[in-house]
Amino acid sequence: MNESDYQALMEKSWRRPLTADEQARLDAWLTTHPQQQQADWELEVTVSGLLTQLPNAPMSSSFTAQVMLAVERDLAAQSRQPGLLAKLKRWLHIPAPRLAWALGLIALGWFVVHQHQANVRSDTAKGLSVMANVASLSNPSMLEDFESIRRLNTSEDEELFAVLTTQ
Amino acid sequence: MGAGFARVRTVMSTVPDPDAALMLRVKQGDVAAFEVLVEKYKQPVMNLVYRTLPDATEAEDLAQHVFLQVFKSAPRYEVSAKFTTWLFTIARNLCLNEIRRRSRHPADSLDETYADNDEQPIRQVEDARIFAPPETLLQGELEEKIEEALSELPEKQRTAILMCRGDELSYEDIAKVLECSVSATKSLIHRGRETLKQKLKPYLKTGAWKEG
Repeated sequence: MNESDYQALMEKSWRRPLTADEQARLDAWLTTHPQQQQADWELEVTVSGLLTQLPNAPMSSSFTAQVMLAVERDLAAQSRQPGLLAKLKRWLHIPAPRLAWALGLIALGWFVVHQHQANVRSDTAKGLSVMANVASLSNPSMLEDFESIRRLNTSEDEELFAVLTTQ
Repeated sequence: MGAGFARVRTVMSTVPDPDAALMLRVKQGDVAAFEVLVEKYKQPVMNLVYRTLPDATEAEDLAQHVFLQVFKSAPRYEVSAKFTTWLFTIARNLCLNEIRRRSRHPADSLDETYADNDEQPIRQVEDARIFAPPETLLQGELEEKIEEALSELPEKQRTAILMCRGDELSYEDIAKVLECSVSATKSLIHRGRETLKQKLKPYLKTGAWKEG
């Protein structure tokens, strides 16, 4: 037996009393080692004994009944929940629908972004077409007198037109 | 629905852990199976909770809450996890939450947190030590000293030592509950026990333990 075997036996002794064979191996090891190690082991065994004999925590006799009462209350509260909501909650707890939800949300997100980009592209195209029409107009110098002509009284034109037609 | 039950039956027939099999029944809404689990594990859970929150009434409230949480979480239970590991993880997490809550609101009591327990009858918890005969006093004193020394340990060391006492949880299971490696768990236990030994040495040297 070496130091690591000793350590392994110690770890076993933390959980349960050693078997006769393990105890014999340990005793053989301890006799070949200094007094201090024997004292340490004795203390180790004592602490294990004390820990094993720790009394159970005090507990009321109605513990289980109270837990079951709380469970019944919980079930009653669940049944009072709106059926659809409860079903949805239960459904969301199952991995596959959760995955479906996640995929659905991703798809929706993608659709919204895609739609937004399409709208931007369409707006840009409309803007470009307007600009193209502006570019195809005649020489802008032709419009120089547009405002003056527009302000002229149209009735004078009509009179002039009438004179011309009678001649 | 029928396929679901067939699947559960198949899983149950391959489940080596009887507690996991019971938990699968709970998952299907079997309250009686849950009662069996409560009856089996109420004392180990209470022992852990009581030594983290050393007030019998508050510890019992929290232990009950642990089981209620287990029931509520049943739909998410997977057989891949050993039931006791899962149970003690829930218990430890609730204890840690309570410790955190207390550090934020030192004056609050657990009764306020779980106010829906109002209708429950007043508990009658018997303290066996009060009625102990004189010859067991030395043993009682030692128990007191070790309880005191345990309560002064850091939470992780104390929990590791308490869970290591029985055969219920392996070192691997304890490591899972504590969310650390197996070697770190063994180190926690070793350090905790060293502290206990140092604190108990003066009392053990008197031979009180052996006489007790």
